[in-house]
Amino acid sequence: MIRNLNIKRILLLLAAVSMAISCKTEKVLPSQEALKTITGNWQVIKASRNGTDLDGLLDFSKFRIQFDGTNYKLVDKLPFIVNQNGTFSLDDPQYPFKITFTATGAQAVSTVFTYPIVNGKRQLTLTFSPGCPNNSYTYVLQQVN
Amino acid sequence: MNSFLQIKGKRLWRACAFLVLGIMLACCGEEITGLEMPDTATVGQTVTFKVNISIPTAGDGGPDYLIFGMLVPKGWKGAQNAVVTYNSQALGGGAMNLIPSNALPKNGGGLSWPAYTKKIFGNGGNLIDDMEWIVYQSEKAYPHSGGYTFTGDVTVKMKVAADGNPTNVKLSFVISDSGNAYTSDNNGTYYSQKGSPSCFEVTGGTGDLVDFCNPQLTTIDPPKSLDNDIVSLTFDGTVVETDLKNESEVYLCATAYTNDGKTIKVCEQTDKTKMVQTSANSKRYRATFWPKAFFNATDAQTITKIEYYITNKAGTVKVGYGNTADPFVYTFKCG
Repeated sequence: MIRNLNIKRILLLLAAVSMAISCKTEKVLPSQEALKTITGNWQVIKASRNGTDLDGLLDFSKFRIQFDGTNYKLVDKLPFIVNQNGTFSLDDPQYPFKITFTATGAQAVSTVFTYPIVNGKRQLTLTFSPGCPNNSYTYVLQQVN
Repeated sequence: MNSFLQIKGKRLWRACAFLVLGIMLACCGEEITGLEMPDTATVGQTVTFKVNISIPTAGDGGPDYLIFGMLVPKGWKGAQNAVVTYNSQALGGGAMNLIPSNALPKNGGGLSWPAYTKKIFGNGGNLIDDMEWIVYQSEKAYPHSGGYTFTGDVTVKMKVAADGNPTNVKLSFVISDSGNAYTSDNNGTYYSQKGSPSCFEVTGGTGDLVDFCNPQLTTIDPPKSLDNDIVSLTFDGTVVETDLKNESEVYLCATAYTNDGKTIKVCEQTDKTKMVQTSANSKRYRATFWPKAFFNATDAQTITKIEYYITNKAGTVKVGYGNTADPFVYTFKCG
């Protein structure tokens, strides 16, 4: 009877020890948000003026903005936030909300932008007023393959 | 038979009671009962507009603030150039203050008061979408109880056509209250709108005439723009019969004036100047272009104004301002 009791105690102890050593602390690594890059050649796929669609009214197909490193270049210009080539920067490389263009020899101009993925492709939506301040234009840009 | 008549009588009494009750309750909304304003004014003149109001309080609610909106051309900058007050024997007098942008109307779906007012009441019959609703609220609130009808006035003293442009426009005014915000229910309709009885004419000034009232042969959208905007120029062949009435294709023939004293003429009948009919048989033709590129202006040049005609394909028929031989004129400016 005493022997049975000891065996039970030993089994209980073994179970408790095995449970204790089976637990180990896992270190949860914080996931690193990828740095956003807009390097590449972008074209306008949608444009509006004061909320009215401009698609089909003006040829936006040739306009390109090329981001390369910290530089940008405009090709076949259209009214845009800047008129000349220059440099650009994002306010936060991981979570950018604002893009700043500095055309050569001009003041820096910033605008809020969004950077969604639509149908598997990254888009860049910029809103700006190149003429009268009350006239607001929104261009949706997509990278050219 | 006797029983049938009694039942019928009951129904009749009930119907009458509901009708009387309905008439009593239907009276319970704010109403603009009159509008006192001149027919004409001169550019820059301070004009008094008196809006007569009636506020029945047969419901039971509030206190709410009186809401007052006025529709004016954006170029007049009404928020800066108008002083609005209210006066009523029962309510006393006071200032109408601009509603702060963070105060949103009930049922407005997140829209601001001016945006919600525009959504409900639109452009007041004006043909150019360059108007704005400016919305005020009374400094004191009033209750909807006691069965009284308050009558009074809202007075606007506004410097008209502060942008220097002679203007023809239909002004419009609306009242409501902050608790009901342009709604109706069984107790009544809690808003009232009244527009100027005819087109309000502001003369003088150095700018171009802005005519919100009468259809124009050509319009430019946006109405206020610079040479670095994208502009849409529309020719409306339905406004008046012109020499282009039988033409299937029309073209733009324009001259730009630049800030360095140069003129740049683009008067060719090509795809570049072709105006596209907005829909089949509409007789409305539109060209959308970036003026700087259209006229091939240099980066250093600013286009200050354009003069233009609408022509046929051969370039032999030209239609100008008011269907005359004078060109249409558009000045690039924001104010």
